[in-house]
Amino acid sequence: MLRASTEVTSTPLDPRSITDRSVDPLLPDGSILLDFVDAALIGDDSERSATRSAVLAVVGPTGLVDAAGVIANFEMMNRIADATGMPVGKGTLKRTAEWRDLIGINGLNHL
Amino acid sequence: MPFTFDAAPVDVRPDIGRLFRREWNRLATPGTWWDGRERVDIARAARRARFGADEAPSSLPTVAIEAAGATSSRPASIRRSWVETIATDLGYPRYVEIVGITSRLAAIDTFHLALGMDPESPPEPEPGEPSRTEEPHARPGAAWVPMVGGASITQALSLVDAESVAQEDMHGPLYLTYEGMAEFDYVAGLSRAQMELVAARTSAINECFY
Repeated sequence: MLRASTEVTSTPLDPRSITDRSVDPLLPDGSILLDFVDAALIGDDSERSATRSAVLAVVGPTGLVDAAGVIANFEMMNRIADATGMPVGKGTLKRTAEWRDLIGINGLNHL
Repeated sequence: MPFTFDAAPVDVRPDIGRLFRREWNRLATPGTWWDGRERVDIARAARRARFGADEAPSSLPTVAIEAAGATSSRPASIRRSWVETIATDLGYPRYVEIVGITSRLAAIDTFHLALGMDPESPPEPEPGEPSRTEEPHARPGAAWVPMVGGASITQALSLVDAESVAQEDMHGPLYLTYEGMAEFDYVAGLSRAQMELVAARTSAINECFY
């Protein structure tokens, strides 16, 4: 989905930033959004407060709520996928092979 | 009234409040395989495992508490053999209902956490019996639990139709409808690419390969 959305809209992105926070995502406001995700899921109250303010400053209140919503939705979907042993389809595996290598997530496949 | 978001730092869309109130009502009401008290206790067990709060729920068998805790707090550690063991004790439908309850609770609690709000108190359980509605078209397949049709994330909970419906209800307001996912140039508060970056990072932190 990320690859398709950046390709369709010609948005720059370095996908390594998904797993390596030292890499600049290149996508507009991407670093600020990644900081917000990190704070929401593994940060403390002070980090959450600071990153919320930063997100608010660049994408406004609607964008902040949207970002919180997307994190929330994928908290749900990740749990459903993991708890039901949902396999990734062969077509998707083939299409995403290069990205998975680049991002380094093949080790997460425990099916 | 729950989910008014008075403590939120910004206005929250009213459809999200309605969505969460509907989910709270679902949580408290007898489900397909668990009654209202058991469903609320599944949520309490999930929160206890994730946040370390609350007391151990009393209405649940130990294996249900274990399932709620694992799906809530360490989903990436779940393996097929563990699911098979849980299902031997509970049956697959009861396990799938637990997955539905805990996954949607995780979404609601994380939304609050991200926006700096305290989690909502659990609802009071409603009396009544679960419907025990069997899903005649569900079959074992490539995933670890039976489902209707081929293995697909949108069908993951289809062994218990009410849980599958609730999953789809949550998906639209928080992210995109299943149909809307094909709109790669979608823009609202965030661009679609920004949304997908947030989604990808969330999945990476959760160590979810899917």
